Amino acid sequence: MSESNKEPGMAYSMPKLHKIMAILSFIFLVTTLWVFLDDYMRPWKAYQVEALKIKRRHLDEQIKAAAKEIDSTKLAELNAKLKKVEEIVQSRKSDIESAEKDLKVIVTKFKDQTITNGILNGQVGAINFKYETSLSHKDPKAVTDKAFNKLQELKARFVKGKDSLKALQAEEKVIVTKITEYKKEVTRTEKEIKEITNKLNLLELAKKTTTIDPVFALRNLPFIDFLDPTIKIHQIVVNNVTDDRYFRHVPKVDRCITCHTFIDQPGYEKEVNPHKTHPRIDQMVGLESPHPMKQVGCTSCHGGEGHRVHDFRSAAHMPDTDKQKAEWITKYNWHEPHKIQQPMLTKSQSEASCVKCHSGVELIPGATVLNEGRMAIEKYGCNGCHKIDGWEHKRKTGPSLLKIAGKVDKEWFKSWVWEPKAFNKHTKMPAFFMQSNNSKPEFAKLNMAEVNAIAEYVWDKSKPYEANEKYTGGNAEKGKELISQVGCMGCHGVDGLEDNSKKVKAYAGPWLSGLGSKVKPDWLVSWLKKPWHYQEDTIMPSMRLSNQEANDIAAYLLGLRNVQFEDLKFAKLNLADQDRVLLDYYTAFDTVASAKEKLAKMDSREKTLELGKRSIGKYGCYSCHNVEGFDGLAGIGPELTKVGSKPAGQFGFGIHHDIPHRRDAWITAHLQRPAMWDDGIDKVFKDLNKMPNFYMSETEAKKITVALLGQVSDVIPLSGVKRLTASETMYHDGMKVVNKYGCTGCHQVDGLRGDVLNMYMDDINQGPPRLVGQGHRVQTDWFYNFLGNVQPIRPWLQIRMPSFNLSTEEKNRIVGGFQHGSKQPTFTEPAESVKWIPGEREETIKLWNALNCVSCHSGGFTNDVALAPNLHLASKRLRPTWIKKWLTNPQAILPGTSMPSFWGDDGKTPIETGYFGGDADKQVEALTKYVIELGQK
Amino acid sequence: MLKELINKIADPLYSFPITTFLFYLMMRYYRIFGSKKFGKWALILSVPVIIWFLADPNFILIILFPDNVPIAILLVMVAFFTWFSLHKAAENDVRIEQGLGPIEATPENREKVWSWPNLVYTELFAIIACTAFLVVWAIIFKAPLEEPANPTWAPNPAKAPWYFLGLQEMLVYFDPWMAGVVLPGLVVAGLIAIPYIDTNPKGNGYYCFQDRKWAIISFLYGWLVLWVYLIIVGVFFRGPNWTFYGPFEYWSLYKIVPEYNINLSEYLWIKGLGVAMPKNLILRESLGIILTILYVGVIPVWAQKATKMGRQFYKDLGSIRYYIFMFLFVTMMSLPIKMVLRWLFSLKYIVALPEWELNL
Repeated sequence: MSESNKEPGMAYSMPKLHKIMAILSFIFLVTTLWVFLDDYMRPWKAYQVEALKIKRRHLDEQIKAAAKEIDSTKLAELNAKLKKVEEIVQSRKSDIESAEKDLKVIVTKFKDQTITNGILNGQVGAINFKYETSLSHKDPKAVTDKAFNKLQELKARFVKGKDSLKALQAEEKVIVTKITEYKKEVTRTEKEIKEITNKLNLLELAKKTTTIDPVFALRNLPFIDFLDPTIKIHQIVVNNVTDDRYFRHVPKVDRCITCHTFIDQPGYEKEVNPHKTHPRIDQMVGLESPHPMKQVGCTSCHGGEGHRVHDFRSAAHMPDTDKQKAEWITKYNWHEPHKIQQPMLTKSQSEASCVKCHSGVELIPGATVLNEGRMAIEKYGCNGCHKIDGWEHKRKTGPSLLKIAGKVDKEWFKSWVWEPKAFNKHTKMPAFFMQSNNSKPEFAKLNMAEVNAIAEYVWDKSKPYEANEKYTGGNAEKGKELISQVGCMGCHGVDGLEDNSKKVKAYAGPWLSGLGSKVKPDWLVSWLKKPWHYQEDTIMPSMRLSNQEANDIAAYLLGLRNVQFEDLKFAKLNLADQDRVLLDYYTAFDTVASAKEKLAKMDSREKTLELGKRSIGKYGCYSCHNVEGFDGLAGIGPELTKVGSKPAGQFGFGIHHDIPHRRDAWITAHLQRPAMWDDGIDKVFKDLNKMPNFYMSETEAKKITVALLGQVSDVIPLSGVKRLTASETMYHDGMKVVNKYGCTGCHQVDGLRGDVLNMYMDDINQGPPRLVGQGHRVQTDWFYNFLGNVQPIRPWLQIRMPSFNLSTEEKNRIVGGFQHGSKQPTFTEPAESVKWIPGEREETIKLWNALNCVSCHSGGFTNDVALAPNLHLASKRLRPTWIKKWLTNPQAILPGTSMPSFWGDDGKTPIETGYFGGDADKQVEALTKYVIELGQK
Repeated sequence: MLKELINKIADPLYSFPITTFLFYLMMRYYRIFGSKKFGKWALILSVPVIIWFLADPNFILIILFPDNVPIAILLVMVAFFTWFSLHKAAENDVRIEQGLGPIEATPENREKVWSWPNLVYTELFAIIACTAFLVVWAIIFKAPLEEPANPTWAPNPAKAPWYFLGLQEMLVYFDPWMAGVVLPGLVVAGLIAIPYIDTNPKGNGYYCFQDRKWAIISFLYGWLVLWVYLIIVGVFFRGPNWTFYGPFEYWSLYKIVPEYNINLSEYLWIKGLGVAMPKNLILRESLGIILTILYVGVIPVWAQKATKMGRQFYKDLGSIRYYIFMFLFVTMMSLPIKMVLRWLFSLKYIVALPEWELNL
């Protein structure tokens, strides 16, 4: 301040202040530029430039291919021809020139007349308006003859002008035709050349749009790039799917295509992300697919923040594997998205979203992981305790306990409930006891009291059951063979047949293990012969076994024993423990003293039954098993209908910090060991986590997780969801019955499941028939009767179509379902007695013999072993249109079928050309008639 | 061990009395506090302490939370300017005691200069520098664009802007209409009223402490302890569910603290007299109402009559100014009093009239 060079009245030296000002100004300039630069540099711009280069590369390749396609000699010829014809045309030069001169004159006149007419048109309109208004207002001053005449004159001139326009047009046409005629050879040749080179030319035009030139640079220059940029954010606005913005629903805006540049364009499958084509372009995103991008968007299925393109992280991408995660961390500085309700589903989870729009359907074709997840849910019966909307129709997973006393021993029952896996390591029955949270001695003894009481209650309520068959002993070896042949394996895994069991992975029925230590022999035979004698609503069918067969199978199954388990003795009911647990229940709303008083008034038996009932309610046994006294009760678990939208913060992770605090991670961990959340937490007995342990593998848990993640609360507008037509509803309702009875354990229905076919990979024709377009194949009345009264169709098969105890309604549903699935009417016109054109029948029989149909379809013709269905029965069973379709190309319906394709792969090239003039349609028609005739005899 | 101790004493229960005591020390020994030596050593010692704090994974999470970074910077500036003013004041006080007059009154400092360019030009510098700084700041620390607001899924903790976190902290101790309406209203009104209440002509144009001792102490107490300190607590120590978390503590969503608060009337009737609460609301809350009236109405009168300082104030200010000042002062002091009562007795409300939405 006391510097010598400052002036009077100045605290600072001016030059110094100016210097500071200069420095500050410079800094300010730099920061301003930085603002623009920072605003300009967006990661997605780099991707778009990259995409431009990729597109150029592809176009180059296509141009090369297109150039190769062009027949160069032909092109040279055409060019030479062009030169020649040009000369010819040149010789008419003077004619052409004079015609063109005339044309110019006409065009000029035409234009002149157009202008005149335009002016007249305006005037007529204006004066007309004025005159008419005056007329309606009765203005005598304006409504004069003079005005009227003027209007008339104008109108006349206008009409005349229009007329002269027409005359000029006609003249023009004449001259143009003349000129075309003079030039026709050149025009024609040029057209021919264009036909050859058109593709190439178009590609080259397309290539031009990918050029990075000064105009491109200018349009994308910082600051002026708001005018008309080529590098810009692209977005899809999906009106069919909305985002919940809490105060209203707004159409979804997905900007994913800003970086995923070629997602909807085939041909970029080999590029690296984000420039890859969608891997399921036939199903998703593609223009021709059922889910086109413009209608469905991206985040509707994938989740994530579709409108955010700020950087890689902002869209809430989620890595699928640890490897990918590590890669993303280094590449994109990725970290777990915060505060995002619905981060993207990982790649392996994306099928979860199908459920959002496709309701009323059990299995969705193509959604493999989701289907497996849903099958696992059904297998373990999760839906028994946890309500899931749309799963209400499912049956109880476990067997009925209403007559259990007639089936197993009470001691066995207790040990079984205590630790099911100890008896059968494959069982679906989960373990409630001896888990990490309740294996402490003081808890275990209370659990034992509960198990004892449960057994007492169940036995108390169990109705008497007398088996209606006697076990008379049988050949176990034969029984084992029968089990593997007749079709048991479509629903059951079986000890001793592990190879096949593992191939099939059946789950509709229990894995058969240790039956000799479990059930009473008479019961087993009775059960095998007629399952609904024991349990009315069982899905177990009768295999129409003979007494010998049933006894053989029983002999094998009874030979499976678990000796170790047999020796188990379950602890006697401890009365003190019983009181202690009951006290927990009674003190919920009562004081300890009055609860004790209440207990004191009860005798020991009463207490036991009370505890048994309470325990069944506590553990939700009734959700899977029919138990008396629990009809109509809801499951004990939380509802899962919207679990996919439950905020991650609402899941209790307990002390487990190693598990990522995410919805999917919690569900997967929970499924594998539900008791884990009690780890390290001091809980009293009644508060322990009750979810039992299914000893599920991680793979299985992950599949169920996928199925559950799709259970979201999102409200999709009706225009966005898949609304089933009446016909589709019929189909899917039918499929629900089909799935309930495990039909799909054996039959592959329209490409789905058919688990047991895995046993017949060597010769698929030895397995149960695949049902493709079954509603088209069979006639409605035949089908209905068949379901109630099974008659073997394919005698060469060892596997049997079982007889199910289906209700009338269920049979109707199955029949109607298949029929609507194939879009067939219920009944078609009955095939009247076949009418032949003279000579047709004789030729048909010749063809029939030439094709040697009888060699396989021997039934009713020869005594040879039949390798195909008896055709005498076909006309009652099959629909004529289907017979034709089948004959034409059986491989198209059932790939791998032993039925030969007599009319080639296209169904149009007959092997036997000597009949019906080699006309495939006529041949097929004739054979169809013949087959129908066979049945009518 | 040390971290645990710090976690513990950071709890307002301890840290508030400690802060108040430190404030007392600062005021009592302002000359030591304001010395260059103290400033230098405080700076030297604070560096390793800060580094040690930053080395903690939980602390760094809180401090580097984008919203919190500028607050940390502001706090440093508050500390510096407090020291700087007391440093200047201490210097001047020494000079005044020696009869020299404040530095600002020396002849060379009384020289007058042109406001252009000396003032206006330098102000322009400041404007440019600040703008450039803010621009760079905005580029480097992007404003977090979060998901659309969802009333059914509020962020936890839901925090007010940092400058209101003192108010939000008051919500822990007061009914919303007190903490959100009356007290902030009185803060504003009180700040506006200062020039009219404070008629002390001394201290104009120069730093000093002795000449305006009580004005400075009461203002700085309200500013540093009741405003800045509460902001620190609100910003750094209040986590999910507005639960207290020490500086080295992980913000677990599930932390639970035992708190069961009891109204004064419940203390009186149920715990004290062992009888049912009277139906009559006024009777029920009579003790609290009487105490409140005593606090607001009687203390100022008593102070004026019975204390030397009160008499002095009354003489200097005149009755209207005195009573306005005292009203504002007791209202300000109601905050620490209520806090202490909460900690010591789990006192919820002195007057609890939820029927009238009137809780004190």
